[in-house]
Amino acid sequence: MLKLEECKYPQERIAVEKFFPEKVVVPLSQHTGALPELIVNKGDSVRTGALLAKAVSLISANIHSPVTGKILDIKEYNHPVLKRSRAVVIESQSKEPFHIDKSKSLREYSSEEMLDRIRRAGIVGMGGAAFPTAVKLKPPKGVDTLIVNGCECEPYLTCDHRLMLEHTEGVLKGIEVVSKIINPKKVIIAIEENKQDAVKKFNSRLHTRKYNLPEVKVKILPTIYPQGAEKQLIYNTIRRVVPSGKLPFDAGCVVQNVGTLFAVYEAVYFDKPLIERIVTFTGSALSEPKNLLLPVGTLIEELFSSGVLKFKKEAKRVISGGPMMGLSLPSLDFPIMKGTSGILFLTEEDLDLREESDCIKCGRCVDTCPMNLLPLEFPRLVKKGMYKDLEEYYISDCIECGNCNYVCPAKISIVEYIKLGKAKIRDLNSKRKKL
Amino acid sequence: MKLTVGISPHKKASYSTRWVMKQVIIGLIPAMAASVYFFRMSAVSLILTCVFGAVISEYLVVKIRKADFSLSDYSAVVTGILLALVLPPKIPLWAAFLGSVFAIVISKQIFGGLGQNIFNPALAGRAFLMAAFPVMLTSWVQPFSLDAVTTATPLSLWKFSHQFVGLGKLFIGNVSGSLGETSSLALIIGGVYILVRKAADWRAPLGMFLGVTVTSGVFYLIHPASGSVLFHLFAGGVMLGMFFMVTDPVTTPVTKSGRVGFGLAVGILVIIIRKWAGLPEGVMYSIIFMNSFVPLINKFTRPKSFGRR
Repeated sequence: MLKLEECKYPQERIAVEKFFPEKVVVPLSQHTGALPELIVNKGDSVRTGALLAKAVSLISANIHSPVTGKILDIKEYNHPVLKRSRAVVIESQSKEPFHIDKSKSLREYSSEEMLDRIRRAGIVGMGGAAFPTAVKLKPPKGVDTLIVNGCECEPYLTCDHRLMLEHTEGVLKGIEVVSKIINPKKVIIAIEENKQDAVKKFNSRLHTRKYNLPEVKVKILPTIYPQGAEKQLIYNTIRRVVPSGKLPFDAGCVVQNVGTLFAVYEAVYFDKPLIERIVTFTGSALSEPKNLLLPVGTLIEELFSSGVLKFKKEAKRVISGGPMMGLSLPSLDFPIMKGTSGILFLTEEDLDLREESDCIKCGRCVDTCPMNLLPLEFPRLVKKGMYKDLEEYYISDCIECGNCNYVCPAKISIVEYIKLGKAKIRDLNSKRKKL
Repeated sequence: MKLTVGISPHKKASYSTRWVMKQVIIGLIPAMAASVYFFRMSAVSLILTCVFGAVISEYLVVKIRKADFSLSDYSAVVTGILLALVLPPKIPLWAAFLGSVFAIVISKQIFGGLGQNIFNPALAGRAFLMAAFPVMLTSWVQPFSLDAVTTATPLSLWKFSHQFVGLGKLFIGNVSGSLGETSSLALIIGGVYILVRKAADWRAPLGMFLGVTVTSGVFYLIHPASGSVLFHLFAGGVMLGMFFMVTDPVTTPVTKSGRVGFGLAVGILVIIIRKWAGLPEGVMYSIIFMNSFVPLINKFTRPKSFGRR
């Protein structure tokens, strides 16, 4: 675990603003799992919330139209993770918001119905991995604890912080819904100590209003990275270890990000699909940072052409996500997705482009690895092509948090070597299967 | 706008290997200054010779291996300074030069360069000289003496004549001995500096401190003529070894508990050698001996991976 420079000021104090783009590019692949099946055609007119693509299996997710307008094209487009992927290009024709149906109240739904609404809404984990939420809420084993992840441990990012401040009630209602579905004995809302205002908000709501919840408490955790990583969070809140290769339910708990819980609330209460999210825009290249509520598919470029964002200095690197685990984008022509928490604009001074030198075996990487691995071994073994030995050092346990790479005085791109090593092992395993 | 792309993490700690080595050099300044104060021009010429020998051999080997010298750090400078500090002040300069060449070429570069060597290069250089020129390596002079009248070090006085040098003198360093080992005070100042700056990890020094303290303490309680804890801490090479040798990242364990254990073993061995071996001092051999166990220590102290049995 590592203490990092937070870089969350001033955006943590800046209220969320709305923005309607003129065009959206909605990728079909925005989650972990199977690609949904497209059900619209070029030239179709769609309304906000209309289904564009349908989940094909359990581990898949629906995709909806975030705007009202006309489908201009369905084509390969830039994608932060896959580089190029199929996407629906929609021209927005009116600023019509999603039509909210408030006719039914929570009491009338069974947990099956609620789960169904969550599945229909295409909700996926909004904290990073974008795993379909409905699957996570139907664990094959009983769980006794729901952990609400409000850590937001990556530097710079403030979207979850702002959401907790501005939509405390919605998040709590989302927690209520999830509690009704998984029926835990205990709910823990985990927040890092750098967000005391959010802690206060939750506590005062919990004291003054009545929620249909089991034992619930707000737990303040030290601001250390990666506090919000699932396995670390479970250990640091309830002292349970998720065995290697297993999932949280194996430790009797479910972890949900606050953003996901808010989406769950909107889906269950208003039948609203996941079509928008809060995204933090910051970094020293921007003239002022912002937290924006954006329709999924908004292109980063349009935020600059419309004047919502402005450059102050030359950006040298644009990152989708946080500085520790985010993906570097080659241009601004990329869409916001369900799992996009922030876009960072870093200047040359922020980056460290010094060349790699020899490992001096100082052990800083070992000291800081939250999985207790020996990160220094991975670059050495990958360079020598000793892929089999990588598994002996438990490369598959690595969560790629970036700590080892951050502290390395020799500036070795340890995470890059680890990703390479994992890919090689996957290749070797699939070849072995074919034989 | 020209964007660069790269794999995460996109931000990194500001320090580098070069910075770490620079901090160590800064940390060695008090000890070098003390050595110049006590041994005058002998100290200046010895330090310069060793640093020159180390840097020039590093440069030549790197050129032969067709690597980029500008990428190298200040580690050869550190090795040169450390070697000078563990040699007798009046050693002939050609021998010191030879020692620094051995330290870099044989004990470091032959193993594959920075990060690959098993033994602490400076100590390996001294061990080589000790084997090749034993008389030169055991001829000591008093501080401030310009003529080379051989005297005994506090440790050999204790071992062979059962005499104790006053602790105050020992602490300040106004005694005979290796160039940079005499002043515990100067070494503590520099040592605390590198620990505070986090250029070195505190665990191995702590282990060595405990090893020396507890072992010598037990011996002292049984038999006071064994020498007090403070005597053993301040005499000979314990302070230099504790702050600047067992903190060498390359030749010590990578795990936290391994570093404590490594230091502890070195500390215990130092006292055992001093007490029972034929030599009055054992810091160099203890560290070199333990260097060879580092892979084993790493293996046995490997932390339990999170979520694994």
